[in-house]
Amino acid sequence: MDKSTIKEPFSKSSAKTYSLVELVHRAPTFMVDHGPDDTVFAFPLVALLELLLTLGVSLVLLWMSLSVNAPLEEIANPNQTTDPAKAPWYFMGLQEMLEHGHPTLMAVLLPTLMVIFVVLIPYLDNDSHGAGRWFTNQRGKSITIKTALYVVIVMPIYIFLDSMFPPRELLRGIFPDLVSQVIIPAIFMGVIVLLPLLVLNRYHPTPREVMLVLFTVLFVSAIVFTLTGFLFRGPGFKLYLPWAMPGGYNPFSNL
Amino acid sequence: MPSWFQTITKSRFWQSFFRHGWPDNPLDRSLVMTTNIFFHLHPVKVSRKSLRVTYSFGLGVMSIIVFLILSVTGLLLMFYYTPTIERAYTYILHLQTQVPFGQLLRNLHRWAAHFMVIVVVLHMARVFYTGAYKPPREFNWVIGVLLLLLTFGASFTGYLLPWDQLAFWAITVGTSVAAYAPGAGPTLRTFLLGGAEVGQEALTRFYALHVMLIPMGIALLTSIHIWRVRKDGGLSANQTVDEDHRDGQKHD
Repeated sequence: MDKSTIKEPFSKSSAKTYSLVELVHRAPTFMVDHGPDDTVFAFPLVALLELLLTLGVSLVLLWMSLSVNAPLEEIANPNQTTDPAKAPWYFMGLQEMLEHGHPTLMAVLLPTLMVIFVVLIPYLDNDSHGAGRWFTNQRGKSITIKTALYVVIVMPIYIFLDSMFPPRELLRGIFPDLVSQVIIPAIFMGVIVLLPLLVLNRYHPTPREVMLVLFTVLFVSAIVFTLTGFLFRGPGFKLYLPWAMPGGYNPFSNL
Repeated sequence: MPSWFQTITKSRFWQSFFRHGWPDNPLDRSLVMTTNIFFHLHPVKVSRKSLRVTYSFGLGVMSIIVFLILSVTGLLLMFYYTPTIERAYTYILHLQTQVPFGQLLRNLHRWAAHFMVIVVVLHMARVFYTGAYKPPREFNWVIGVLLLLLTFGASFTGYLLPWDQLAFWAITVGTSVAAYAPGAGPTLRTFLLGGAEVGQEALTRFYALHVMLIPMGIALLTSIHIWRVRKDGGLSANQTVDEDHRDGQKHD
């Protein structure tokens, strides 16, 4: 409002005990300090959205089911091992981990730590500010993208090098198994996971940003390990390119 | 509205079923939600922010839809299946070749199972990256993690049931990992399999887990999960409405 048009709408005389504090435009006074009530009736909009989603999911699954048959091999035979013998695809990350260290470390301790960390996330980062926004803010987004890129580059290199020159094979007999199969792989894993945190630490991160880095490292690593085990492991559980598997092995036949 | 339609919807019989009028006004649109057991999971009004596709991608709702599809197809499969190592495989063959739409039924169940694992994992990632685990939603995040583990369990136990080479060796490999747990490892594996190797006992246990225990756990935890989403004020996106106003800036 133009100030010149209002001259002392309320007197400042000491006899007056009231004064004009604020003029509220276009809104009833009970709305002050509240955002606009940007809501709609759930019926019928939400009901329709859910119906559409149900139809969409059903159609996709029906189309998939009409075009590809679920695999069925010969009847189970405990005396005849399949090569490769693979776990279901969502556990291929675990099976891939087994290739890089002692099973107790790789398939039990690290995954357990991972689950415990994921459970604890909301208790480690309990500042409710920024909830409901993707990556909290622009900086969070940039941190997430950089971390994801780092894992996508570093993890495959680690998997490849560790398979070509496995320390636990090369150091067998030189060091005790505890060193070559547990301590050395644990150090590798620890460095790869914690390195981005050390970098982040120079920029005074919030707890949320620490969580973004750790979760992204674990989440993208899980995807990389799962894809490696599922797509790139062929007969003898050796690394091959998915389209150049010996013996015509098709990784997708395991689905 | 035609008069015959009004006669029906105003009758005591109809109104004993539906305790609200035609939902074309605010009162009846509210009553639809509060008087219907399925709709009452929803609030009467929802914020536009929480409906934005690019916020939630509908992943939580999709998880429930796929779970329902799996329950229905799974129930139908149970009519044609017996969990014995002599007959399980032949029943699958029978289902695929003799039962009308049997192959389609099995395909639907199989692909829906893979789809559910993917959707649930993506849902967790969405919740994490939007900070939707923050107070007061901490414990609902924990329930969500349990639901993810149960989803893996449901899929893994179902994997054995066709009793083919794929199933047998996948479960052999998968459960051998359990044996490496320090201390209780071998006991844990025996507990899962009911013996030293994958055999009849394992098939029985996996079947019971797959058709009863795990689905019941998922149904129970999902109920708590959704109930808590409602109690905590819907999706976290709602929380940003007041913040945007207070900060005097747009974040979109």
